[in-house]
Amino acid sequence: MNIRCARPSDLMNMQHCNLLCLPENYQMKYYFYHGLSWPQLSYVAEDEKGHIVGYVLAKMEEDGEDNRHGHITSLAVKRSHRRLGLAQKLMNQASLAMVECFQAKYVSLHVRKSNRAALNLYTNSLGFKILEIEPKYYADGEDAYSMMRDLSAFAAESKDTQPTENLEIKSESAIISQC
Amino acid sequence: MPPSNPLPPKENALFKRILRCYEHKQYKNGLKFAKQILSNPKFAEHGETLAMKGLTLNCLGRKDEAYEYVRRGLRNDLKSPVCWHVYGLLQRSDKKYDEAIKCYRNALKWEKENIQILRDLSLLQIQMRDLEGYKDTRYQLFMLRPTQRASWIGFAMSYHLLGDYEMANSILDAFRTNQMKGPYDYEHSELLLYQNMVLAESGQYERALQHLHKFSTQILDKLSIKETSGEYYLKLKRFKEAEAVYEDLLKRNPENVMYYEKLIEAKQLVTPEEKVAFFDVYKKEYPRAIAPRRLQLTEAVAQPVFEQLVDEYLRHGLHKGIPPLFVDLRSLYSDQSKADTIEKLILQYLEHLAKSGTFGPEESEQKQPASALLWAYYYAAQHFDFKKDTDRALHYIDAAIEHTPTLIELFIVKGRIYKHAGDPVSAYQWLEEAQAMDTADRYVNSKCARYMLRAGHVKRAEEMCAKFTREGVPATENLNEMQCMWFQTEAAAAYKRLHQWGEALKKAHEVDRHFSEIMEDQFDFHSYCMRKMTLRSYVGLLRLEDVLRAHPFYFRCARVAIAVYLRLYTQPLQDAPQTQEPDTVR
Repeated sequence: MNIRCARPSDLMNMQHCNLLCLPENYQMKYYFYHGLSWPQLSYVAEDEKGHIVGYVLAKMEEDGEDNRHGHITSLAVKRSHRRLGLAQKLMNQASLAMVECFQAKYVSLHVRKSNRAALNLYTNSLGFKILEIEPKYYADGEDAYSMMRDLSAFAAESKDTQPTENLEIKSESAIISQC
Repeated sequence: MPPSNPLPPKENALFKRILRCYEHKQYKNGLKFAKQILSNPKFAEHGETLAMKGLTLNCLGRKDEAYEYVRRGLRNDLKSPVCWHVYGLLQRSDKKYDEAIKCYRNALKWEKENIQILRDLSLLQIQMRDLEGYKDTRYQLFMLRPTQRASWIGFAMSYHLLGDYEMANSILDAFRTNQMKGPYDYEHSELLLYQNMVLAESGQYERALQHLHKFSTQILDKLSIKETSGEYYLKLKRFKEAEAVYEDLLKRNPENVMYYEKLIEAKQLVTPEEKVAFFDVYKKEYPRAIAPRRLQLTEAVAQPVFEQLVDEYLRHGLHKGIPPLFVDLRSLYSDQSKADTIEKLILQYLEHLAKSGTFGPEESEQKQPASALLWAYYYAAQHFDFKKDTDRALHYIDAAIEHTPTLIELFIVKGRIYKHAGDPVSAYQWLEEAQAMDTADRYVNSKCARYMLRAGHVKRAEEMCAKFTREGVPATENLNEMQCMWFQTEAAAAYKRLHQWGEALKKAHEVDRHFSEIMEDQFDFHSYCMRKMTLRSYVGLLRLEDVLRAHPFYFRCARVAIAVYLRLYTQPLQDAPQTQEPDTVR
């Protein structure tokens, strides 16, 4: 499995991966919007044939200078490629880019209240905290947890260019998640 | 330039309001003001008003009337840039870009320096890849508005796309020194990286490298600096420096396969032994990374070396219970001796795990968790399925299911074995079983639907998909809206197998329409990216769209459509086609 920054030519294959794995789907234009507004922030995991097996689609929320933060629009890993730690690795790469290129202070996301597996990944493996509940966030009426992860550790890291090692967390569970 | 057919002040004020209403999408009001002008017999045939009325009607979906009014307006005032511009906009909204370009050109004949028309023209030219025309238009916009950022960028871009890198670079240099006066923000950083891309594409790596070094403190995207400078060092055969860059990149992301490949190139390693030793170093350096361990298996050639390494790899995977172990190793099977080695090891594990709960016969062997046997069965099933040995594959998957009847993955693999064995009905039934065990997982749901389509059960597949599509609309409608091409392609193929030619073509054309839409999607980004300065990605988008229909999704669907059309040509349908229920299996 290869993890690298997404290119415009990956975006269609990310859409395909999304449609296979997650209930929240978007038209191609929305993927283009991400890839052409914040090209550094989206990452893919691909197999040897170059098929996308996981991705993170991310953006910046530009509400005010002192509240600059990244947002995970969508994160998915195919069920056939779980427990390789891909979700965590994808998220860490995207988070580092958010800090370096856009001085993000934190990264936020939404997750379905019923998605225990994803919630577990975010809280235990990635250091996210639940901020609040957003009632009826999803189209089908389900509530979302609004979550955030502080990125100051990444900011320190990008200054002295030390590797990601100290940010890795023990848990191995990588779960498809809905953001 | 004065309008060719001026209105008196009162009517002229009304006309201005029509324009404003159009811009603000207040179409009903626009029509009201148009009526106030046109109801006066003196101005009943006023060209520009008629044209604007037509354009407004178009926005309300009244296409036929729109064309009628716009054409009538134009006939009454052939020298009006407004009438020509409006006719161009109308054609553009119908995606008749060539026609629209002609209209804009006519408009510009009567008003050479109209910025809005020039801008609209340049967008159409780049959309149609009329690169020469684009360059001319961007030149005019640049001359007319030399203080605007977009003027410079578009001007430089037009030369870049034509392969005139020197000119593109000079424009960007001039722009940078005259126009960009800090702060050194993201847009500035992107501009520098775009300029660097232009230099690299001209093949001047030395110069590109110097440029990168000179501005590195002003560039925020550190990853791009490292990735491109590594590339340049390799091209320039400055291997020591390349080595340092890729070492650095691996610290950042030890799961990037390309970094290892480039580092091997920089270190000029050639023999399998050298490469195996190379990966030993990085396995130690990044103990949590998978890539160096896995890549080492690809490079190992000598049987005993490979056996030792893959033994370690398999034991680790089975011990921890990593479900994708087989899909991860599958590509090694192209080497028969590697496949044989793996088989030998797996059979050995199975024997000893069943007997003593260990991987091997030695006393010193560590006792494994009970799940290790399960994962070994699971691996063996996939292994023999790959070898087309259906009986043994089924034997091991059944053993796995008996061991742990609640693991969804096992049922997915069992279905796949039947699929490979040519029994699509049993295949989808096992997937149905898997799906029922976790109805909240769309991946299993999608797989199940795909297998149903392979078995010719289109309706059943649609019902399966409906569990994840928006409520209140038919699943197929929602899947089409979301451009779900895998489903539509599989459905087209299924209909073709069922000899439902019309349905098959309908699905194939839905996919074709997605590709047209994705071509259209470009349009807004022509101006958007100039503002955002994400020019490298923009060029990436243009190059993607240039070859968009080379995408496998398109090929697969086109193949179905072509086959259906050929069949209909050689055996035309007689009378009314027999309607056959989609779900009656052959």
